[in-house]
Amino acid sequence: MVRNASVNKKPIQVEIFPQRVLMPDTAEKLLNGIDKVPGVIRMLIQGPSLPTRVTCGPGTGSPVNHPDRRIINVSGHAFELNIRVGRIQIEIEDRSVKENIRKVAEENLPFPFEFREGFFIRRKATLVDYAKYGFKSKEDNSINLEDERLLGLVDPKANPKDRICMLESKDE
Amino acid sequence: MAYKPQYYPGNTIIAENRRNHMSNNVQKVREISDEDLTACLGHRAPGSDYPSTHPPLAEMGEPDCPVRQMVTPTPGTAAGDRIRYVQWADSMYNAPAVPYWRSYHAAINYRGVDPGTLSGRQVVEARERDMEAIAKEQMETDMTCPGLAGIRGATVHGHSCRLQEDGVMFDMIDRRRLEGDVIIQDKDQVGVPLDRKVNLGKPMTPEEAAKKTTFYRVGNVAYRDDPEAIEWCQKVWELRTIYGYQPK
Repeated sequence: MVRNASVNKKPIQVEIFPQRVLMPDTAEKLLNGIDKVPGVIRMLIQGPSLPTRVTCGPGTGSPVNHPDRRIINVSGHAFELNIRVGRIQIEIEDRSVKENIRKVAEENLPFPFEFREGFFIRRKATLVDYAKYGFKSKEDNSINLEDERLLGLVDPKANPKDRICMLESKDE
Repeated sequence: MAYKPQYYPGNTIIAENRRNHMSNNVQKVREISDEDLTACLGHRAPGSDYPSTHPPLAEMGEPDCPVRQMVTPTPGTAAGDRIRYVQWADSMYNAPAVPYWRSYHAAINYRGVDPGTLSGRQVVEARERDMEAIAKEQMETDMTCPGLAGIRGATVHGHSCRLQEDGVMFDMIDRRRLEGDVIIQDKDQVGVPLDRKVNLGKPMTPEEAAKKTTFYRVGNVAYRDDPEAIEWCQKVWELRTIYGYQPK
């Protein structure tokens, strides 16, 4: 997640949907490119998972050792890429940032991609979020989260550890 | 003149490929050794004897039955082999075989098989050595592209996934991958690591795959581009609806 944008304005969301699922090198280049665009609030990567062990069938428990499940570096932060990146959803400050994102995708993807605006990452807390985080106080019924940009980035029931990466941009 | 079955209607390359698969008019394009095949299947150790589930039929003293006299048992049945399976996942991005066509290929051209077709995978169950004969033929011929299809006993995910950047079908548990210009498999079909690297050969180029595929799809040859296939499809459905499907 990038913190180089104000969240006071009305943000929009865009999605990059490549024709092929990305290898880690391409994903790393693309994510770094997007990170450099001013006005990005948060982004979410999605795709089929690369498990560490076989999870079903007679081979259950065997190590997978997928060569593409590896550490990538985005904006100086290293995190383990445990999926094959299939789509990238980005929340940006306003519509003027959209074309810059498209340009970065064109520069970094060696094949065609779909680029669309829509609503992909939710902004409001759901009942499950409230069940997990609770209210701020008896008087304040807002959700007990320091940074509401975390909403919608991971499944509320999932452990956010290793799934969310806070990127501190230099211009902040 | 001997009767020649007419397997599938249509004038497109896809219909032609479908007819080729059904009539077993497939070309051998690569060589897979028996030991490599056994290793990839993972049902027994390469080079070991076939475990049996009953004594050979010749020793069993079968009852006097006209059907048994008429039907010659397959080699696997005669030896009393276990029933084992081979399961395939074929990418919907122009893989040479559609799951249904693997089933047609097995059911039409082999005896003693139990093909099962699912949306994104296809399984053939048979006596072990019969199954291996089918698996070997499917692996060695142009009805399989090692980059766009793979034997997957479990975690078959990949059929409807987009291809990877290198043009290979996604495999969650990394049974096989592109190394240089060939596909290498180093795990058996359920993901247990092997003590060898099996060379499955070169994957087809996208242009070649588009010519060899049995998938009708927009972007290559759409089903609507084949009026004869549509006509017959509609005719079968009409007859089936009106007359309870009694083609005469």
